[in-house]
Amino acid sequence: MLQAVITGLLLGGLYALIGVGLSLIFGIVKVTNIAHGDLMIVATFFIMVIIQHIVGNIYLALAITIVIMAILGFLIQKFLINTVIDQGAETAMLVMFGLSIAIKNALTLIFGAGNNALPSPVKGINFIKSELVSISGQYAVNFIVAVVLIVGLALLMDKTPLGRSIRAASSDTMAAELMGINTKSMYVWAMAITMGATAVAGMLVGQTYSFFPYTGTQFLIIAFGVVVIGGMGSIFGTLIGGAILGMAQMIAAYFLGTAYQTLAGYVILLILLTVRPQGLLSKKMRK
Amino acid sequence: MSNKTMQKMQPKKEAMPKVRWISLVVAVVVLVSLPFWGGDYIVNIFTLILMYMAIGEMWNLLAGYAGLVSLGAQAFIGLGGYSLAMISQVFKLPFLLGFLLAAVVSVVFALIISFPIFNMKDVYFTIGTWLVAEALCVFFQTWGFVNYNVGYNITVARRLSSTSVYFIAFGVGLIALLAVVFILRSKFGLGLMAMRDNEAASEIRGVKLYKSKLICFLISSAITGVAGAALYLNLAYIKPTVGFGIDWTVSMVFITVIGGMGTIEGPIIGSIIFVILRQLLYNFSGFSMLILGVIAVVMILVAPKGIMGLINNKTGFDLFGVKRKVKISDFAGIDAASAE
Repeated sequence: MLQAVITGLLLGGLYALIGVGLSLIFGIVKVTNIAHGDLMIVATFFIMVIIQHIVGNIYLALAITIVIMAILGFLIQKFLINTVIDQGAETAMLVMFGLSIAIKNALTLIFGAGNNALPSPVKGINFIKSELVSISGQYAVNFIVAVVLIVGLALLMDKTPLGRSIRAASSDTMAAELMGINTKSMYVWAMAITMGATAVAGMLVGQTYSFFPYTGTQFLIIAFGVVVIGGMGSIFGTLIGGAILGMAQMIAAYFLGTAYQTLAGYVILLILLTVRPQGLLSKKMRK
Repeated sequence: MSNKTMQKMQPKKEAMPKVRWISLVVAVVVLVSLPFWGGDYIVNIFTLILMYMAIGEMWNLLAGYAGLVSLGAQAFIGLGGYSLAMISQVFKLPFLLGFLLAAVVSVVFALIISFPIFNMKDVYFTIGTWLVAEALCVFFQTWGFVNYNVGYNITVARRLSSTSVYFIAFGVGLIALLAVVFILRSKFGLGLMAMRDNEAASEIRGVKLYKSKLICFLISSAITGVAGAALYLNLAYIKPTVGFGIDWTVSMVFITVIGGMGTIEGPIIGSIIFVILRQLLYNFSGFSMLILGVIAVVMILVAPKGIMGLINNKTGFDLFGVKRKVKISDFAGIDAASAE
């Protein structure tokens, strides 16, 4: 039981990092990025290809991928989402849905449907091993990286001029524009930053699980879960959302068996969505 | 409104009904007589087009008219398919009862999930419907009654000729189309469109939001379920990950978006393009979805109302006439008054 709680908590860190990108884009651009999971897997594949063909070092590969993903995010926001955003959130969501399907099938055409894995320096090493609990090195690294990155993102949004402009653009678009902020270009920056962070999530996911072109959907649903629990748009909320979702899944697996782990996650989410449609931790929206 | 635009609009209005009736009659004659002159391949293609048109219309009814963008429509395809499988394989009853069961199960399930789902607004509704379908998929994988994740061979499908499957598909397509046309031409449909365009204003004018959305959701679910049974009569094998796969909704979205969301003709055009493109690229299944995804994205960017929207803008043509056309004389009066 203690093991389940601790594993769940550490798993929650990774979940939070997967969810934070979705949450940020929803909070700032007000668009549900349905392609989020697939874009993350794109990053994972980029890292894999770079390791295999260009540089051997995974961290160097990650650095390159962060830049690539940021550029990709820039392009997606500038040429896809910004074009349709005035037609409403649903239209933008459908654009991302189309993109998601295109990505999945493009990846399958290039890499085939088989399983892949990223090398990990800490694979198989136990961070703590005792009779009571054991923590795998990978889970510990995931958790630490996720927390550091999420705190970093929160500081970026809170303290820097860029972060302030982005928040201004999202909280009152018209006022921000009157103050001389180009809101659409702020959205582009936000997307680029988010995609950079998503690349890190992609690496950790690739190291922790085996992945294939269709894995994106599964992580999108996890990201939804995190964001629904933590509240759409809240950065720190994703940490709490991730922890709750991770622990709920692990505890359900402990009591009901691993077959029910996923089902338990879905049911918890649906109950939460029903009882508190605006998210567990988000404040009531101003009317 | 100036005199020039009035003159431009008038001749269009007069020419329309003729074109409309002729094309409808031609379509019905071609479709009914198809098995008597078309080869097996053509009949199969049209079977697919009719069934995909049915599910496309149903998704369009929700997304394009009731403002409910669902990514969980595959739940009803799966339920329909399983209804057919259970009736014909497990209970050994006539397979046509499977269609009845599909409709009943779908409506009951839709009614049950409507309580939680309808609490959710906009994006949350979309996520919620998807989660329901995914949960259903996982549940069926662990449920012994439906043979876990092994699923069923639907053997009755192999005994049927392609002509009889075609006429079942024709029936399903016709029901879906008639349902949409009748709904939208009724007062209820007018309320729906008002609701889609401005919820608050329509509610003040007496449209019952919750009830209207629920009725739409139930009708759409029932017909999607029946279409699911028909699709599985064609596929002949069902298992949870495919029956409840998001791919079903993907096809509905593509069909609707490419053809034209919020138009009745859209899913017809969309399903023809969808099925033909998929058949042409049959050996590269991933490739056709990639192309469709790109077409759908480009379509939203350049023509948000799809192909039908383009046609309608250029020629003013629409096949079923569910749009309420404002009489020009109404405007003329206002114009004259404001001119003074």
